[in-house]
Amino acid sequence: MVSILGVGLGVAALLVVQTVMNGFGEEHRLRIRESFGDCVVIANTPIEGPDVLMARLKADPAVLSASAYTEGPALARRGAFSGVAFVRGTDPLAKDQPARQYVVAGSFDGLDDGRVILGIGLARTLRVAVGDKIELWSPVMAEQAEQGKAPLPASLEVCAIVRTGFTEVDDRAAIIPLRRFRELWSLGERAHGVTLRLKDPANAVATAARLNVGKTGLNFIPWQEIKKNFLEAIRFEKTMLFFLMFIITLVASFSIGSTLFSAVIRRTREVGVLVALGAQRWQLVGLFGVQGLLIGALGTALGFILTWGILYFREGILNLINSLFGNGDMVANVYQFSKVPLHYDTTDFVVAAAFTLIVTTVAGLVPALWAAGRKPSEAMRDV
Amino acid sequence: MSKVVLQAAGLKKSFASPNGPLAVLRAVDLVVHAGESVSIRGSSGSGKTTLLQLLGGLETPEAGEVFINHAVQGLVTPRKLLGHGVGFVFQNYQLMPELTALENVVLAAKIIGQSRVEAKARELLQLVGLGDRLRHLPSQLSGGECQRVAIARALINEPAVILADEPTGNLDETTGKEVMKLLLDVVAQRQTALVLVTHSREFAEKAGRRLVLAGGVLSPA
Repeated sequence: MVSILGVGLGVAALLVVQTVMNGFGEEHRLRIRESFGDCVVIANTPIEGPDVLMARLKADPAVLSASAYTEGPALARRGAFSGVAFVRGTDPLAKDQPARQYVVAGSFDGLDDGRVILGIGLARTLRVAVGDKIELWSPVMAEQAEQGKAPLPASLEVCAIVRTGFTEVDDRAAIIPLRRFRELWSLGERAHGVTLRLKDPANAVATAARLNVGKTGLNFIPWQEIKKNFLEAIRFEKTMLFFLMFIITLVASFSIGSTLFSAVIRRTREVGVLVALGAQRWQLVGLFGVQGLLIGALGTALGFILTWGILYFREGILNLINSLFGNGDMVANVYQFSKVPLHYDTTDFVVAAAFTLIVTTVAGLVPALWAAGRKPSEAMRDV
Repeated sequence: MSKVVLQAAGLKKSFASPNGPLAVLRAVDLVVHAGESVSIRGSSGSGKTTLLQLLGGLETPEAGEVFINHAVQGLVTPRKLLGHGVGFVFQNYQLMPELTALENVVLAAKIIGQSRVEAKARELLQLVGLGDRLRHLPSQLSGGECQRVAIARALINEPAVILADEPTGNLDETTGKEVMKLLLDVVAQRQTALVLVTHSREFAEKAGRRLVLAGGVLSPA
């Protein structure tokens, strides 16, 4: 019973960590896609006639939608507070604007040529709330000043504040209409890039490569490549945690080996009797091996149930940890997730089950081989 | 003369001791025929149990050979056919504590691959007077009853010979006599040979042939 519990806890620890890590990974991937699009089309120079390019791309069966965007740094200022804003010009009427779902104050629909949407970090830097006004200085204005002109900054009212969960986005993001951006940056009808929504985002790498064929001067970057280092870091973190949890499960398996070994030693006399009655070596090995396998199977099943239970009540467990250690809501504060994200991966469950069954069976077989190798006359003398 | 069911020739066995190898059996020869009962008497430490283990294949001799008659394969070494040609009755019964009387008897048959043996096991337990104790665990049986279960277990595979090592050693005098009578009766009834190791002169006398083991050699009593 203790062995089964040990295996169950090991399996549960492994799967809970893996499932939560998968959840974080999936959530981050989703945020990347929503923040940057499934695929981004960029060029070394601003794209001339982006409407033509968008029309061609929209005609592709793999593409759901395409929208032009512009982006560039600017100085944002309100009174004595200023910060560097990374301004994005986008179509305010587009219904699939991902920023819509990250609005924490105000309304995305209020965006027009006289208004701006700010990332929460930038809004804090500038000490502004919805309804306040800020000034935006574009690099073009600096050029104009150099030429002896006296440009006026764009005065924009904050109509919404967004929080994406990506600090680097939230601390610098400013969204204005595409038309207004082009005006402030003197871009004419050009755009810096086009974001694509794909029917099958998971297949973005292949789709991007296919779409890129024959489009000289353009770079199609799938979402997986946009934050490659970040995604690699998450994957590496998951691998390291798997390794640590693997050791925990291995320790649990050693306890099974020790328990079974004690059981075999306790039953040495009976093993001797079985041999005297004609039991073959393989029968004894099978008997104790099956015992190990059974412990592994029951432990794995218990581990699956515990995993489900822990993950089902994860919010309560997290609240308890937060209240005990006074860390506040870490998930919300650090990761900006409303709840602990989950993603069940069948492969993790299959690997955990297979690994546990193999280890527990081997843990049962080793003492069985020892017992089966003893002389029955000696074994029967043991009490 | 009936056919030979057990044949041992030139058996030697010694054990390590602080003063060097201690020879327990020097040159033991023994031939047992079908249905014959043989008692081997000797003092403690004379090597009676060791001899029985060699005859049953539980130990390997340093020299000499043992053959057991198998119904199909003829004379074979017992080690190769444990559970087939020889049935054991041990002094301390050696029953499986978690199994009932019936299961203990059935187990001996199932181990060597026989199936549908429950009816036969019931019949044997009936024969040894335990028809109403089939579902009892060894802990719920008396010493005499446990030894009866062990006798039924030894008979289940219809061995050519039963090797009994001090089968009354753990029993009181009355029960010991009852068990011994039962053992001799059932082997006679089933024409099974019996090699009985005992230090009791009284029980040894009940066997058809009586031998004494002394100085590592078997000789007629």
